[in-house]
Amino acid sequence: MSDFARQQADFQRGILTGDDTVLTEILDSPKEKRETLYGVYRYAYGSRLVEAMRNDHELLHLYLGDETFEEMGHAYVKARPSEHPNLRWFSQGLPEFLRTAEPYCNHPVLSDLAALEKALNDAFDAAEGEVLELAAMAAFAPEAWPDLKFRPHPSAARLDLSTNASAIWLALKNDETPPDATVLDEPSRQLIWRQDVTPMFRELPTEEAMMWDEAAGGIPFGVLCEMLATYDDPDGAAARGAGYLHGWITSGNLTAVSTE
Amino acid sequence: MNVASRLPDNSTAALAERPMQSTKPPFLGFGLGLRAQHYDEILSGNPPIDWFEVISENYMLPGGQPLRTLDRICERYSVVMHGVSLSIASTAPPNFEYLQGLKDLAGRVQPKWISDHLCWTGVHGKNLHDLLPIPYTNEALDHVVSRVQLVQDFLGRAIVLENVSTYVQFNNSEMTEWEFLSELSRRSGCWLLFDINNVYVSAFNHGYDPLTFLNGIPADRVVQFHMAGHSHMGTHIIDTHDHPVCEDVWDLYVAAIKRFGRVSTMIERDDNIPPLDELVLEVNRTREIAERVLPQAGKPAG
Repeated sequence: MSDFARQQADFQRGILTGDDTVLTEILDSPKEKRETLYGVYRYAYGSRLVEAMRNDHELLHLYLGDETFEEMGHAYVKARPSEHPNLRWFSQGLPEFLRTAEPYCNHPVLSDLAALEKALNDAFDAAEGEVLELAAMAAFAPEAWPDLKFRPHPSAARLDLSTNASAIWLALKNDETPPDATVLDEPSRQLIWRQDVTPMFRELPTEEAMMWDEAAGGIPFGVLCEMLATYDDPDGAAARGAGYLHGWITSGNLTAVSTE
Repeated sequence: MNVASRLPDNSTAALAERPMQSTKPPFLGFGLGLRAQHYDEILSGNPPIDWFEVISENYMLPGGQPLRTLDRICERYSVVMHGVSLSIASTAPPNFEYLQGLKDLAGRVQPKWISDHLCWTGVHGKNLHDLLPIPYTNEALDHVVSRVQLVQDFLGRAIVLENVSTYVQFNNSEMTEWEFLSELSRRSGCWLLFDINNVYVSAFNHGYDPLTFLNGIPADRVVQFHMAGHSHMGTHIIDTHDHPVCEDVWDLYVAAIKRFGRVSTMIERDDNIPPLDELVLEVNRTREIAERVLPQAGKPAG
């Protein structure tokens, strides 16, 4: 290892772990000791990353309060140092961290709230894509419908929440007192997408969520209707499927339809 | 990715034979760092700002509003790209995925130039998201020259590098920062972004005269000035970019214009961001001072 590389490794280790080896290679300034001057880098590291997390997770910050968020943020910074050149992606691992790390894992609403904010952030700057118009459906003869396959918009994503995090998100967003956190009997199934430039989410009924997941996996409309028939009234399955599809198209959730 | 196939021949002999000669970027006038808080005001109004500098990483994204807005800004204004993650002085292997992202964004933006900082941001796969200092040694200089040449080959253009604010100095430095920058520019062909606030901050922190730094930089290599504010801690100054430009830095700006002549200048504010009008006042002041010191300096080329 070159001397330059060794020195950079020492400098970085001093910031990440508090090791003081590099101080032997740093000078005092005319007015200040080297420990204080090097401390500027040590302090800036954690505070900059926690600030980025605060920007990405405004409502989690609001929910936890300054002190707890700060403590949680520094724990995340320590557990998962950034490995990406773009700060935009630093807090991507936060939902997983909160789901697994003590003491946060004892409060599953925190992971859910972070996951919902992450999904909305991801929708905000997701790739562009065509938005399928209802008029495009008129091009298909009725007999072609069973073979129709759908492509979700690049910004569309599904998220299952085990808690009432979406209700808490809405309350915080509207400056209202959030409800007490509760674990749901059945997960709430959210669809997240971007309408023009605005990230959106809405809760899907269980069978609509199933149909979306299968449609996104390339299952054609005819089979989707057969699957819906196992969830509720079989005679109304095709109508329900058409209704869900209508909602997806008018919300801008799909980018293409084809029989291929 | 097969990195080896993308590396140019950077043997000493090959490098010596191909100094990158590039045309000096044009004078753009008096600009501002583009920040999301001002998108609407800029696009719905017609603020007297000649050009914008955009933080490259803020737009190295798949899509959505940031890129759509940037496209609209680019239709109306000259734009330069300014990155914070090139990590040109890192001893870690170059990040070609990052460089490709930068190149792709440049293809979209068509910037007048691409800049970043003379610093490193991490090694061993980590990114500290800070502009970390280097020792001014011959070993470091050789390393950074070869990295600059590699990046310039990859991007197909000369880059612009900025002096950073530093809080520490290394005991193994063999030259001054201005000697390092001058040599780096001469040997690699990169241009220089002279951050006047950073010179002021580093000079205070390390106890030298900022004019010595200023006079040590070759006049013909500087293509851009940054003007920004900082936080004074008594024994040292931290480069926070969250205050207006202070009077000492305005004085240094006058000295910089006298030495470097007509240079594209901009106000850089990254935190505690005020309304656009407030920053336009600072932009106007950069213009007024330049016109007073150099009567022909006010008008951008073209």
